[in-house]
Amino acid sequence: MSNLVIPALALLLQVEQTTRGRAILDGIKHPDLSKFLVIGALLFIIGLAGVLTRRNIIVIFMSIELILNAANLNFIVFSRYLQTTGSMNAVAGQVFTVFIIVVAAAEAAIGLGIVIALYRNRETIFVDKIDLLKW
Amino acid sequence: MTLSGWAAVFFWIFAVAALVAALLTILARNAVHSALFLISTLISVAALFILLGAEFIAGVQILVYVGGVMVLFLFVIMLVNVSAEERGGEMLFNRPGQIAASVIFLALLSLGLIYALRTGYEGLLRRDQERIATAIPPPSAQPSETRVMRISQDTQRVGGSLYRFASIPFEIASVLLLVAIVGSVMLARTTKQELAADDVDPELLPELIVAEPELKP
Repeated sequence: MSNLVIPALALLLQVEQTTRGRAILDGIKHPDLSKFLVIGALLFIIGLAGVLTRRNIIVIFMSIELILNAANLNFIVFSRYLQTTGSMNAVAGQVFTVFIIVVAAAEAAIGLGIVIALYRNRETIFVDKIDLLKW
Repeated sequence: MTLSGWAAVFFWIFAVAALVAALLTILARNAVHSALFLISTLISVAALFILLGAEFIAGVQILVYVGGVMVLFLFVIMLVNVSAEERGGEMLFNRPGQIAASVIFLALLSLGLIYALRTGYEGLLRRDQERIATAIPPPSAQPSETRVMRISQDTQRVGGSLYRFASIPFEIASVLLLVAIVGSVMLARTTKQELAADDVDPELLPELIVAEPELKP
């Protein structure tokens, strides 16, 4: 069991497997930027799982917000990374994040307007019941 | 850049909180609970932004997402009827086959992503080794003499580059928001409101009057 758990833990915490316990402990005590990237990737996966498995269209919208937030986290992480390399244009990632937040707000407003119009006409918010255009 | 001390502790707290709340968002039966869990995820991610030195984005995230978008979500949840799902009368997820397929796909995707992130980040560090060693760290990255984290100057720099390099996208974003406001009002209004505004489709008007005579303008 332990020879399955430790490599999985090492992969999740982004450390070398060969220098087992000490490196993992060091990775926990001093998390670097790749940990933030892993958090972003896992948020993206959870959001994608919500989009693929839920039936309620409002929860699907919330999952899309999760996906956009994971992208924001990645932008901020790489903006921070560019600062450590001394790049001149390190805040470009943060500027991009502002635009993503704007587009997410617009998308939520339009999407929820569509949900209300749909509910008024079809009396349902389940995506598998919304099949008006399906052969 | 590595975190240490209390920053590392807060990183783990907020990372675990964000992931657990995100999982509960997609698993909760009640849509209102989903929205509240999503709010906790967004706040935890805002805390991670602060740990990364992006205080302005963290503030924008809390103001726009939690204060604006999530309130909109809660309003819409209250407007539509979700009680069948809450009581367990309706299925929460898609059919089992679809769930199994997506879970397998997502497990493979997460394994591949995390492996690629690890090798990619190591390669990135190796490529930029010299630049990281020679770069002058910004004053905000260093704790002050009293070991208190300084507020970074990023807000000033974000504002500067937003207006200097991205002023046209900024204007386009404002037009996009205007279009979104007008579009959502158009989409969400009823036939009665359409008749009251006197811009109902002329082809549709006779049918509407036959169907609902009291609507006649």
